[in-house]
Amino acid sequence: MNKALPYQDIQTIYFAIAVVVLPFAAFVVNLLFFTKSKLSGWVSTLAILVSSILAVIIFTRVWNVQQIHVKYLWFIIGDNYLYTGILLNNLSVLMLGLVSVIALPVHIYSTAYMKDDAGYSRYFQYLSFFCFSMLAMVIMDSLILLYAFWELVGFSSYLLIGFWFDRANAVQANKKAFIINRIGDIGLLTAIIILFNQFHTFDIVRLFKEGGLIANSTIKNGLWISGNIQTPIIWQYIACIGIFLGVAAKSAQFPLHTWLPDAMEGPTSVSALIHAATMVAAGVFLLGRVYPLFNPAELTTLAVIGCFTAFMAATIALTQNDLKRILAYSTISQLGYMVMAMGIGAYATSLFHLVTHAFFKCLLFLAAGVVIHQIKHIKEDNNLDIDPQDIANMGGLRKKLPLTFITTLIGGLALIGLPLTSGYLSKEGILVQAFEWAEHKGSIYMLLPVLASITSWLTAFYVARLILKVFYGDMNLPTLHPGIKIHIGDGGWRYKLPLVLLSLCCLFPLFSFNPLLHTDSWLLYGFSSYKDYTENIFEIIVPVLVNVLSLAVMYYAYTIYIKQSRWVSSQTGLLYRISFNEWYIDKFYNRVVVKSVLILSDAVFWFDRKVIDGFVNLLEKTGVFIAGIASWFDRHIVDGILHLAATTVQAIGGFARRFQNGKVQYYLFSMLLAVIVVFILKILIWN
Amino acid sequence: MSLVQVLFYFMGFITLASALIVATSKNLVRSIFMFFITLFALAGLYVLALADFVAVTQIVIYVGGILVLILFAFMLSGKEALAAAQLQSNRFISLSNLPALLLALLFLVVMINVIFKADVANLQWIKEANAVKNVIGTNESMISNVGINLMTRYLLPFEAISVLLMVALVGAAHLSRKEDTRV
Amino acid sequence: MISLVDFMIVSAVLFCTGMFIIVSKKNSIQILIGIELMLNAAILNLVAFGKYDRINNGGQMFALFAIVLAAATTAVALAIILNVYKQYKTIDPDKIKQLKD
Repeated sequence: MNKALPYQDIQTIYFAIAVVVLPFAAFVVNLLFFTKSKLSGWVSTLAILVSSILAVIIFTRVWNVQQIHVKYLWFIIGDNYLYTGILLNNLSVLMLGLVSVIALPVHIYSTAYMKDDAGYSRYFQYLSFFCFSMLAMVIMDSLILLYAFWELVGFSSYLLIGFWFDRANAVQANKKAFIINRIGDIGLLTAIIILFNQFHTFDIVRLFKEGGLIANSTIKNGLWISGNIQTPIIWQYIACIGIFLGVAAKSAQFPLHTWLPDAMEGPTSVSALIHAATMVAAGVFLLGRVYPLFNPAELTTLAVIGCFTAFMAATIALTQNDLKRILAYSTISQLGYMVMAMGIGAYATSLFHLVTHAFFKCLLFLAAGVVIHQIKHIKEDNNLDIDPQDIANMGGLRKKLPLTFITTLIGGLALIGLPLTSGYLSKEGILVQAFEWAEHKGSIYMLLPVLASITSWLTAFYVARLILKVFYGDMNLPTLHPGIKIHIGDGGWRYKLPLVLLSLCCLFPLFSFNPLLHTDSWLLYGFSSYKDYTENIFEIIVPVLVNVLSLAVMYYAYTIYIKQSRWVSSQTGLLYRISFNEWYIDKFYNRVVVKSVLILSDAVFWFDRKVIDGFVNLLEKTGVFIAGIASWFDRHIVDGILHLAATTVQAIGGFARRFQNGKVQYYLFSMLLAVIVVFILKILIWN
Repeated sequence: MSLVQVLFYFMGFITLASALIVATSKNLVRSIFMFFITLFALAGLYVLALADFVAVTQIVIYVGGILVLILFAFMLSGKEALAAAQLQSNRFISLSNLPALLLALLFLVVMINVIFKADVANLQWIKEANAVKNVIGTNESMISNVGINLMTRYLLPFEAISVLLMVALVGAAHLSRKEDTRV
Repeated sequence: MISLVDFMIVSAVLFCTGMFIIVSKKNSIQILIGIELMLNAAILNLVAFGKYDRINNGGQMFALFAIVLAAATTAVALAIILNVYKQYKTIDPDKIKQLKD
């Protein structure tokens, strides 16, 4: 520990540690003591409440005041000294506060939403574990530890997506999420390794601060030079690609976005916390951490990919029928905005949009959860066979769920980005800066802001479609199934309180006292300064144009869905089909990537079974064969020799025995024979 | 070819022929009677060898004693022995006889070889005997010679042989006594 | 005159015939006859050589003694054959093989 810190800083560090450890303690306590009890929910909620209070205190102490960084020597390998430590700068405390403040209403909501579930305690264990990993990730100062908690966040997401593991869809979804996340993890790890090779440190402060190691590294003659280390420039590109893979996997950018819609198989409160507000924001957070690494060409690439993702996701959201899938594609689209903002250099605005998006998307998901819950009630009460998440089964719910309707309306307007909402401030910031950037770069780059604006109108359309189809019009369930009883309502205080709190945060006062001018927001000035924002014509044209056209689009949607006076395109048209089938990306992955991996694994399995096992079997057969030969040899030759000896002796004995046959004449004959032989030999032959 | 030689060949022929018939006959009685003839022919040969007393003794003891003894022993032993003795192979040169035949022929060959090799006519002591005329004449009787030699030179063997005869007599008598069932 | 060699040849043939009878006959009495034949062959030999020993007359004396001994032998042999027949009810020497291994 750095002893030169003043006392208050040390207390802040301890608070930070407490913020991280409290959810972990809740996880352990739930795991050990409350595996069957409903108290586990309150343990987790209490932990996150205290964490959020401490996080707000830390925020007030650190935001735009000073950065606190403590390091501790972890271990030494050769000449390399590796440290652990805590870094509390603006980005860290902003994320710390955001995650814990968003997690608190989600915990309260979950205690009611999951109260009938058998895995209640397990749910809160996983939720606390996730909070622990996310909070730890944002305050780590070492890239290696950041990577460790990044992986843990992915792991918690896997656990929570597949929470209802007896459903086949949930298991497939969490496998998909984990594998795609893994691809991102490989990219991030590669980048960290390259950075270590180049700079010999994992310390984020030393690497990325102004005047830090990366700022002082140069690129000359195709070599990446820092200090006295020179490597070919290709490694810098690979490091950036690695970072981008990590971002794409975690924040669901094209081409690694396909896991997020399927992740909606998890409980809705999980979708609200993880897949809308916090975990998917981790990618953008990473971009915020390593921003100085990118050179302008790479930033442009980032912007293009972000913009394309935003546009693609918005087009897909136009035709989806599952309530949560619409919101999932909306999340992908907004994350695309954030990545695009990072790419065009609007660092502060990107983080601003991250914060506002967290609030209104979490709100929208929680409200969707209430609606789905009520449709499920209808389904169970009447034994219907309907999909509770299909918006075709909804309609006219604004009379039955008034509070939910109002909060959803506020969240939806924030998502579209109409004035008086927080979403307006952040989204306008991005669009204005996009036009400024394109103006400086050249006319071809104008495509990006135009596409971003189009995406914004598409957002307006699908959000309007969603709200109109769910809350306006008439419910068609009573007409399809006559005689059903519909007893639904808003729910208890545990549903209402989080919705209300979050909807209040979606309005402008939290972020800026000027509802129309995004540059007045206090949040921006944690990451940039007044002189970064110049007055120009775009500041006026863009908000006006975009919002007027958004209103027009919303009215257009109204005419289609409620008044039903216009049809856009039939459901079999080409554009509709491309949109509805998610641009066929998922199908492409299944057919090409997944199938080839499965073929490879089949081939390897065949190889293992036939060749390797076959080799082992061959050895076994050879061994048995040799043993058989040895046995034959032993039995026939070794024993055979013995038998031969015995039989020879027996034969000789039998032969010799026949001379003693007890016949006198025989004895006499043999005696005389001997005599005559001697005589013949002596007389006739020798002499 | 003097008469003596003719007689010798004739006697020799009879001896050998009857001996052969003794050898080859399956019938015991026939062989005994042929042996009878062999013994007589042998006596004739003894006479031709200028051993008249031995010839007569041969006839008296051998023919009159031994042969009769054999005949009586055979005939008085009953039908079972006779029947058992009849079981012999029919052929002369049968497998069981062949080794004996070969053996006998071999012995014959060896003996004749030795006889001719020994050149008995030129033995030292025979030459000396011829020189001092120690040869038995052809016209003298040997009875007195045998008698005198028996009582003087060969007295001990004479007495010994009489004891031996007595022992043999006693032994044979004892051996062939009838077993008393109640002893 | 008759040479020694002639006598000796006759004696040899007789001897071999006797040997043949002994080795090949299946009747004990015929074996006895064979023994007698061999003895007679030897006695003939003795007598043939006895011609050249007039003073001691060893040949003829030995021949006499041999004849007497032959008689004794035959007597005892016949007694033995009788006993064998009483014991084994046969005089076939091939049947009397209790001393077989």
